[in-house]
Amino acid sequence: MSNVKCDHCHLVFRDSVMIHDEELRFCCNGCKGIYHLLKEEGLESFYTKMGEATLAPPTQQYEASENFDSPAFHERFVTRSNDNLWQVSLIIEGIHCAACVWLNEKALHKMPGLMEAHINYTNNKARIVWDSQVLKLSAIIDMIRSIGYNAYPYDATMQETRANKERKEYYLRMAVATFASMNMMWIAVAQYAGYFSGMTQEVKTILNIAEWILATPVLFYSGWVFYRGAYYGLRNGAISMDMLVVTGSTLAYCYSIYITVLEKGEAYFDSVSMIITFVLFGKFLEVLSRKYAADTLDVMNKYVPSEVSVLEGETIRSVSVSEVNVGDTIVIRTGERAAIDGEVIWGEGSFDESNLTGEAEAIFKRKGDMIISGTTSIDALLHYRALKDYAHSTLNNLVNLLENAMRQKPRIEQLANRLSQYFSSMILFLAIATFWAWYFWPHTFDQSLMVGISVIIIACPCALALATPVATIVGLALGAKRSILFKSAAQIETMAKATMFVLDKTGTITQGCPAVVCATYHERFDRSVLLALVSSSKHPISRGIVEYLEKTELQMDAGNGISEANEIPARGIVGRSNGAMIAGGNAFLMQDMGIVTQIKSDKSLFYYAVDGKLCATFELQDLPKEKARESIGLLKGYGLRVVMLTGDHAASAFRVADEVGIDEVYAHVTAQEKADFIAKAQGEGHVVVMAGDGVNDLLALAGADIGIAMGNGSDIAIEVSDIVLLNDSLTSLAEAYAISRRTYGLIKQNLGISLIYNAATIPLAMMGYIIPLLAAVSMSISSLLVVGNSMRSRWMYK
Amino acid sequence: MDSWVVAMMLGVSLFLGGVALIAFLWAIKTGQFDDENRMMNQVKFDDEKELNDAAEQEKKREKLKKKEYQPE
Repeated sequence: MSNVKCDHCHLVFRDSVMIHDEELRFCCNGCKGIYHLLKEEGLESFYTKMGEATLAPPTQQYEASENFDSPAFHERFVTRSNDNLWQVSLIIEGIHCAACVWLNEKALHKMPGLMEAHINYTNNKARIVWDSQVLKLSAIIDMIRSIGYNAYPYDATMQETRANKERKEYYLRMAVATFASMNMMWIAVAQYAGYFSGMTQEVKTILNIAEWILATPVLFYSGWVFYRGAYYGLRNGAISMDMLVVTGSTLAYCYSIYITVLEKGEAYFDSVSMIITFVLFGKFLEVLSRKYAADTLDVMNKYVPSEVSVLEGETIRSVSVSEVNVGDTIVIRTGERAAIDGEVIWGEGSFDESNLTGEAEAIFKRKGDMIISGTTSIDALLHYRALKDYAHSTLNNLVNLLENAMRQKPRIEQLANRLSQYFSSMILFLAIATFWAWYFWPHTFDQSLMVGISVIIIACPCALALATPVATIVGLALGAKRSILFKSAAQIETMAKATMFVLDKTGTITQGCPAVVCATYHERFDRSVLLALVSSSKHPISRGIVEYLEKTELQMDAGNGISEANEIPARGIVGRSNGAMIAGGNAFLMQDMGIVTQIKSDKSLFYYAVDGKLCATFELQDLPKEKARESIGLLKGYGLRVVMLTGDHAASAFRVADEVGIDEVYAHVTAQEKADFIAKAQGEGHVVVMAGDGVNDLLALAGADIGIAMGNGSDIAIEVSDIVLLNDSLTSLAEAYAISRRTYGLIKQNLGISLIYNAATIPLAMMGYIIPLLAAVSMSISSLLVVGNSMRSRWMYK
Repeated sequence: MDSWVVAMMLGVSLFLGGVALIAFLWAIKTGQFDDENRMMNQVKFDDEKELNDAAEQEKKREKLKKKEYQPE
């Protein structure tokens, strides 16, 4: 049988399964539809542009595009540049090649009233501007869907735009500074050569003027950030590193103009531009690795459902959460998250409350039970009456608490900042002292000024400014190699100062899903039937059993002889196989079937019975992750206090703690109590690192000095935290700490190098031995030493 | 004479360099480096049709502007 390519998506299938359309072959109706649509629209050159790339076949879109026209949607995502021109930011799903970008833009541009469609190929984000009088947003979405892509909105928030703008501004400033400094260098080479071999004053002045021209944009355009920084520093009553940079470069600049105009002495223009360029580079590295806290809140809002379905008489209407009143009837379907607290009035099903309580087991709800907002319906379709409005519901309270926690997050001042304050004031003082000393030890005003300025120039903290950013970038790279994601460079230093580690149990120390630890077989039975039975369920316990059976019973296929497999919520599964009644579940299910179970255990138990006879018992347990004990031992070896907090019951908490070697355990802790515990520890002077994965850890993660999330934890936990362990392992946790300590050590080394360097050169400057050449050379060498030292650390720590 | 040559050479080279720098700054500012993948593929989508498309969009925009300026 020959294989052929689908004419739209280019995926290869057997010829017999393809849809034949004269000469054309399609893998599905979706592809066929799009192919003909493109042909009609005259866009078939898409296929030549696409080349050998393959696409994902289009998926059926069930979601109505009308949602995109609702006022609630517009309020959140659409901006209006003027009366008629509206703008939205979308993420386009399904972009595989540059031709996809072309096709989308082209198809959208063909629509009347669509003013601008620009798609970023790298991140698939699109900006679309349209005339609201001619076109509706839903029509635009329909068009994108009809050509086989999907679009969903994202908040192009202020924060993201601002971050991009700031980064771009730095690019511009760096481009100017680098250009000027590089040109300055070859002019400077001529000047240094002239200094030793003699040069007429005329040529010297020409070179000085050229340098002057180059140094001006560097100081006033590229260096603007330092003026700004120095101003804000002064307003807060602090002499910052910016202040030193600004005074040094401005004085040197003015002095050099004076030299150039009077045509005597040596100009320092090259030092001016070099200082600014180096320090700007350090600052740029800082900007790149900065995290914007407010972005997190935005994600939090995304996590909150913005609309709920309200039952009004016979009709179900989508209503914005803030419009729901107490007493309204709300409909919740499978997979939906409740936004409002209430009481069930109709229907039943299980809910996942692990978000709030940390309990992994699903909770069965029926009429009269309480629905807590923030929990997710697993299989329930039910109606419930709102008991609170949105503002007073649990979920909204949680969001508010989180916002507070993030605002009050302690910020530990960085070593370099603290150091540079003392350093800057000291240097300024020394420079002034030197000037007066020279002036009264009779020298001319010119000469004294030059020596005073040379002190500032030589002390200018190029190396100091690079010390921290270069070291932290090395730390970030080391972490990234080991799947440890530091979200913000500044946090590395805080992490290194940690004194206490607080760990969540489920999903952090343990694997988060139960595994069979003990299986007892009472009667002979067909294992493949059991496998088929448990495979039909997605409950974590069933999955644990599936995993166990597949591991122990080699080469076993799930028998397909079972029928009528039914899941009974909070009980288990029942079904029929070859006429026999089979059942698997907990003790309650066995009781219902008239089987008496005697085994008592603190573990989860799963019984399997055929025709009312107990055949097997499985004990399941949430096991600790691999190497958990070693990793916690490592952390303890550093002298850290390690604590376990869990919402789970005490018995299992102590068992796990015992297994991994944690002595300090607190069980039955709620989300708020976790945060309080951390706040209390901080009050006692601890620098606290919190590691967790669930929504019940959110407040604690946000409140801790460092929050660490597991890579497979909930999205929101990842957002709130400062460090993400992508491979979920506890080894990474210990390693993250080791890397932080090492990086902090590196920062200290780098600061040491630059300070020693200054300590050696400042006396020389005060004695008046510094010429422009020496200043330039010493500045470059100290910066190179700092960068070199960081690189060395990178190579050594493999 | 010598120094005049030095001054001229310096002036010309700085001017040329400056022009290149300004072009580069303009390119950054207009977002031409924002999307590295698209930038690499740009040459594939740069024929007559694309120009016509861009012109069409421009026309649309102008039409809208005219509509707005219409006296009430």
